[in-house]
Amino acid sequence: MNPPALRALLADSLTLWGVVGRVEIADGGVRVIAGDQVLHVTQAAPAEAPMRWWLVREGRRRPAASMLGLLRSLRYALNATSAEPARARVAAPS
Amino acid sequence: MIPVSVITGFLGSGKTTLLRSVLRDPAYAGSAVIVNEWGDIGLDHQLLETSEENLLGLANGCLCCATRGDLARTLIDLAARRRSGAVTYHRVLIETSGLADPAPILHTLLMDPSIAEDHRVEAVVTVVDALLGAETIARHPESTQQAMLADRLLLSKTDLAPDTSALEGRLAALNPGAPILRAVQGAIPPDMLFASAARPAALQHWLEAIATPGARHSAGVETISILREEPLPAVVLPLFLEALAEHAGEKLLRMKGIIRVAEAPEKPAVLHGVRHVLHPIQWLEDWPSADRRSRLVLIGQGIPQWWPARLLEALEEEARG
Repeated sequence: MNPPALRALLADSLTLWGVVGRVEIADGGVRVIAGDQVLHVTQAAPAEAPMRWWLVREGRRRPAASMLGLLRSLRYALNATSAEPARARVAAPS
Repeated sequence: MIPVSVITGFLGSGKTTLLRSVLRDPAYAGSAVIVNEWGDIGLDHQLLETSEENLLGLANGCLCCATRGDLARTLIDLAARRRSGAVTYHRVLIETSGLADPAPILHTLLMDPSIAEDHRVEAVVTVVDALLGAETIARHPESTQQAMLADRLLLSKTDLAPDTSALEGRLAALNPGAPILRAVQGAIPPDMLFASAARPAALQHWLEAIATPGARHSAGVETISILREEPLPAVVLPLFLEALAEHAGEKLLRMKGIIRVAEAPEKPAVLHGVRHVLHPIQWLEDWPSADRRSRLVLIGQGIPQWWPARLLEALEEEARG
């Protein structure tokens, strides 16, 4: 996933979560700025598999094995979970 | 006189499931079916097993507003084709969109003289999701109107909601004259639903209230459509649905889709979801039409237009390695 596509998805995600902020392309990934928080998202190197993403906040790196994990970590880091996130609930099969 | 019945109910309440079940009954198999869907991509009509000539889709507009004139023309044209022997049917079933206010539709059916000449309105059946119905009624005025105008209220998905007493109380308060029936997967004798009914007392009030036609949908309800030529890796589906539920569940009113999966391209996967409640993926034996592209329709409030497609692309890229 190239940085422009990542920026577009994360910018949409901020809107979805109601977070006022912006996403910029920076340092081979993107920089997420919201209030006084600055976070970096970069793609993991092939040798770091199965990790695919790194979320860096105040020098601490948090890995994510998928975009699903990255979005969850980013949302948590931005304190954008005003209510408990709704996890998928599968209805009983017919 | 040709009997006409209206099946209504909020997004994801189970209207199409009910209609599929009804059409399996030999007494109803020869019905003319008019399906109204909201959004750029019509799917519901593809999931109904009925003859093509007896099935008409009214897509990309809501019966109660944008396509109301289409309904009148469709019924009149159908009746003319019936008289000429080009089509055979003994009743008409209309499935409204989930956001439809039934009052303008009934107004058209009852008041348009060119329709009333050949047709009589038999029953209005409102499908109410037993699990989410109470909250839907509280949040969406369309749902309230659908309940108030019903001749019969049908609680769907009762297997998922063991206690429906509060919802039934609310429905009884909204429409005291309508019997409340229950069904799982639309399993109910159709005659219980469509036997001729006296119009609810509320109807006249609603008919008067709609002297000025127009849509009264909840503000900001939008449809997002995704169309994909390439099949999707199977592993993407659960990840996409989980992300959708986790991040957009509260804003997602309805999600439905038919997906071409790379590992089984000849057997389409059918997705249904209402908010964060997702139904198990259904696998069809074959594609319902020659169109084998994956199609997803999401109806929601406040979901960025391109977020679902961007998410899907990201997950697909990960799956392809």
